[in-house]
Amino acid sequence: MESWRRNPFVFWVTSLPPTLWLLFFFLVPLGIIWVISFGEKRGVIDIEITWVLDNYWRAFDPLYLEIFWKSLWMAFATTAICLIVAFPVAFSITFAPPRIKPLLLLLIILPFWTNLLIRTYALIAVLRTKGMVNFGLEWLWDQGNWLLTLVGLGDLQLLGAAFDPLQLLYNNTAVVVGLVYVHLPFMVLPLYAALDRMDRSFIEASLDLGAGHFRTFLTIVVPLAKAGIISGIIITFIPALGSFLTPDLLGGTDSQIIANVIERQFKNANDWPFGAALSFILMYITFIALTLRAFLARGSSAMEAG
Amino acid sequence: MRNYGKRRFSRRNFLAGTGAVAAGLTLGPKMGWSQEEAQVNFYNWDTYIGETTLADFEDATGIAVKLDLYADNDELFTKLKEGNPGYDLIVPTNDYVERMILADMLEHLDHSLITNINNIDPAFQEAEFDPGRKFSMPYMWGTLGIGYRKSAVSAPPDSWKVLYDSDEYAGRIALLSESILEIGMKYLGYSYNDTDPAHIKEAEELLIKQKPNIKVFAEDNGQDLLASGEVDLTMEWNGDILQVMEEDDDISYVVPKEGSLLWQDCLCIPKGAPHPKNAHALMNYILDAEAGAAIADYIYYATANKAARALLSDDYNMNPAIFPSDETIANCEPSVYLGEEVIRLKDEALTRVLAG
Amino acid sequence: MGLFNGGKRAIQIGPLEYNKRLSFRLIFFVTLVFLYTPILTLIAFSFNDSRRNIVWRGFTLKYYEKAMDNDSLIQAFTNSMTIALISTIVSVILGAMVAIALWRFRFPGKASLEGAMALPIVIPEICMGVAMLAFFSRVGYPTNMPWPLNLGAITVAHISFSFPFAAMIIRARLANFNREQEEAAKDLGANEWETYRDVVIPYMRPGLLAGGLLAFTLSLDDFVITFFTAGPETVTFPVKVYSMVRFSVTPEINAASTVLIVITIALTVIATLMQNRAKP
Repeated sequence: MESWRRNPFVFWVTSLPPTLWLLFFFLVPLGIIWVISFGEKRGVIDIEITWVLDNYWRAFDPLYLEIFWKSLWMAFATTAICLIVAFPVAFSITFAPPRIKPLLLLLIILPFWTNLLIRTYALIAVLRTKGMVNFGLEWLWDQGNWLLTLVGLGDLQLLGAAFDPLQLLYNNTAVVVGLVYVHLPFMVLPLYAALDRMDRSFIEASLDLGAGHFRTFLTIVVPLAKAGIISGIIITFIPALGSFLTPDLLGGTDSQIIANVIERQFKNANDWPFGAALSFILMYITFIALTLRAFLARGSSAMEAG
Repeated sequence: MRNYGKRRFSRRNFLAGTGAVAAGLTLGPKMGWSQEEAQVNFYNWDTYIGETTLADFEDATGIAVKLDLYADNDELFTKLKEGNPGYDLIVPTNDYVERMILADMLEHLDHSLITNINNIDPAFQEAEFDPGRKFSMPYMWGTLGIGYRKSAVSAPPDSWKVLYDSDEYAGRIALLSESILEIGMKYLGYSYNDTDPAHIKEAEELLIKQKPNIKVFAEDNGQDLLASGEVDLTMEWNGDILQVMEEDDDISYVVPKEGSLLWQDCLCIPKGAPHPKNAHALMNYILDAEAGAAIADYIYYATANKAARALLSDDYNMNPAIFPSDETIANCEPSVYLGEEVIRLKDEALTRVLAG
Repeated sequence: MGLFNGGKRAIQIGPLEYNKRLSFRLIFFVTLVFLYTPILTLIAFSFNDSRRNIVWRGFTLKYYEKAMDNDSLIQAFTNSMTIALISTIVSVILGAMVAIALWRFRFPGKASLEGAMALPIVIPEICMGVAMLAFFSRVGYPTNMPWPLNLGAITVAHISFSFPFAAMIIRARLANFNREQEEAAKDLGANEWETYRDVVIPYMRPGLLAGGLLAFTLSLDDFVITFFTAGPETVTFPVKVYSMVRFSVTPEINAASTVLIVITIALTVIATLMQNRAKP
C-alpha cells in the first residue's frame, strides 16, 4: 500500500467519481432523512425541523424496544437455521466432481432469480390450509386409515376423527420459514467460496492424525472458513432484520417486526420524523453488530477478504 | 465460478440490452414533446374499472390511457405527498380527499369540462368533505361488513361480536387491517369517528383480548382467504365479497346491526398533473351513463351515477349487498379526517395491538 | 490421497468425499425439495383455469396469452431489464474504481470512506427508499422525460445501493493480488495504464463478474427502493407484480413469472454450453 501522493493522478481518477456519487446520491438523501428525524409534524404534510429528540425518546418506549428485540430474535433464528442447513449443502457442492459443481451451484441459486414476492406467494400456496403440505399429509392420513381398515381397526379412529390440517401459515414459524427460504442461497454462496478456497490437505492431515469428522470440522474447517462464515452471517442477518414484506405476507396477528412499524410510519401514520428516528436506530444496531464482527475477525486478518 | 460467470454475464446482458433497445425504439416515438400529448396517467385501485372502459375511451377520443395500480389510500398519499410523480387522475376515498384538500394537493375541477355531471345521483352532488364538489367527483360507494361461509356458521352473523368478542369461530376469522379500531368502537357503541383516547383504548384492549382467536389481519385479500377456506368469516369491503360470491355460492355478506363504515371513492386530479385536460375528459367519460353502467356491472360496486343505474338490471339495483336498505345506511357513518394527532394515537394503539 | 476406510461401507468412500455420504446427500435433496416445491407449484398453477387461483379447476393456456398481451406488464419487464443493465455497468465501474483506490492507497480519510461504503449495505431498504423519494422531490428531478431518461431516478437509486456490494466483492478479489506482478510489468516497461489493462484488470475479472452478477440481481429483484422512486411510466416488474398481486394472485402472474424463470434457465444453459465449448 502506498501513500496517495506517490501517484496522485491515479488516486484522484479512481477515488473521486465513486466518492462524489456516494456523497450526492446516498449521503445527502440520508442526511435529509436524518434531519427529518429531529423534526416534528406540522399540519398534514409539513415537517418543521425543530431539532428535538422527541422522536428518539419515543422510540425507547418499551413497546418499541420489545419489537426491536423480537426482530433481532427472528433475524438471529433465521441466520442460525440458514447456517446449519447451508453448511452441509456447501460441503456437498465443494466436494462434488468439478463437472457437476456449477450445476449444483446453479440449482441452489436459481430460486433466487425469481421475484421475491412471487416466491413468497408460492410459499403461501404450499403452506396454507389447502396447500401442498396439507394435501400431502391428508393423503398420508387417508392411506393410514385405509391400512387400519384393512387390519380391522378402522372403527377405532386411531388417527383422529377427521384430518386436522397443520396451521403452517400466519404465525411466527411461517415468517421464519419464509425468511430462511428467501435467504438460504445468500448463505450458501460465501460458505462455498470459502470452502472452495480452503486447502484440503489440512482436513486430510487432521483425519490422518485420528480426529473424527466432527472434531475436524470444528477445529480445522470453521477457523479456516471464518471469513466466509462471517460474510454469510452478515448477508443473511442484516436483510432479515430489515425485511417487512415476508412478515407482512406470512405473519399472523403477532408477527409484527420493526420494519413493519417503520413502514407504517412512512405510510399510514404519515409520521416521517418518527419513522426516520426508528430507521436510524435500526441502523445503529446493525453498526454495533458489524463492529462486533470486526472484533471477532481481527484474529484472522490474513484470511479476511475485505 | 470464474469463466462460467463471465460467459453468462455478457450473454445475458447482450440479449437484455438488445431487447431494451428494441423496446426503446418502438416506445420512443410515441412520447412526443407536444404540449399536452394524447395520453392520460390513471392511478387507480386494482380491479376497479370496467373491462373495456379504458379501451373504449381510447377509441372514442384517441387519448391513450396508462393505468397504474395502488393498493390503499396510504400508498397513494405517500406517493403524492412529496410531489406528483406524473399522475393525472386518482381515486382516493372520501376522508383522504379531505386530507388532500387540506394539504393543497388537488387541482380545482373545471365543471364546464364535465358535462356528465348531471348524471350524478342528487344525493352525491354535494359532499361534506368537499363543498361544491370543487375537487372531486363521486365514483363508487359502499359498506364494510362481514363476508362469511354459509355452511361453516351456526347462524348467519348479524353483529360484529363474532369477530370482536367471541371465540365461537376461534382461528377461523380474519379482520381487515384497516379500520379495526374504528369498527371496534362501533361495536362498543361509539361513533366510528370518535376521538376520545379512552374509547380508542377500550377498542385496543378488546382487540388484544380477542387476538388469540383471530387468524390474521388481512391487507386486502380477505375475500381470497374466505374463498380458499383459510378462514370462515372475514371483515371486508362489500364489492370484494361480491366478487367471490360470483364464483362460490356458499359465501354471503352482511352488514352488522351495530352499523359500519360508509365509504365513497372519488375521482380527483392531483396538483401538478401533466395532462389536466385529458384527465377531465376521462373523468367525464367515466361519468357517462353507458360507460358507468358497464363499469358497475363489471366490478359490482354501488355507483353514484344515477343515469348508469337506470341502465342496469334489477339484479344489480336490488341487490342488498350492493345497495343496502335505508335502515342499514342510517346505521353507517362516513369516515372523517380527524387530524394528524388522532392518526398518531391510533397508530400507536395499533402497534400495541400487533405487538402483543 | 489415502483412501482411508471412512466407515463400514461395502463401497469405499474417501474421507473427503462428503458429497457421497448419505446424510449429506439427504440434506442436499431435502433442501432442493424445500427450495423448489413452491416454484413448481407456481408453475403448475399458471395453467390453472380459475381467476382466483386457489383450487385447481382445469388446464388452460389463456393466462399466458393474457400476460403476453398485457402491455404494462411487458413494459414493466423492459424497464426492469434496462435499469438492471445500466445499473450493473455503472456499479461495476464505480465499484472497481473505489476498490482499487482503497486497495492501493493510504490517504487521510480512508477509514471514513470505508465506513461510508458500508452504509448502503447496512441501511434498511425502506429508509433508503424514503430518502431517495425525499431527495428527488426536493431536488426537483424532472419527471416527464421521454423513455429511457425517465428511468434515471430509479437507476441512480439502484446504482447507489449496488456499487458498494460490487466494491466489496472486487476488493476481496484484489486482496489476494500479488503486487510483484504489477512491479514486474512496470520493470518490463509498461506504463500505468498498460499495467492496469494487461495485468491488474484481468486478475480482477472474476471479481468484476461476480460483482456485476450481484449488482444485476439486486437491481432486477429490488422492490422497496424502486417502489418509492417509481412514477407512472417507470414501473418495474417487481412493483408491477406487487400491485397486481395485492388483490389476489391470478394465474397471469404465475404465467409471467414462469416465463421469466424459463428465460433465465435458457440463458444460463446457453451460457454454460458456450463456456464448455470454449474450453480447450
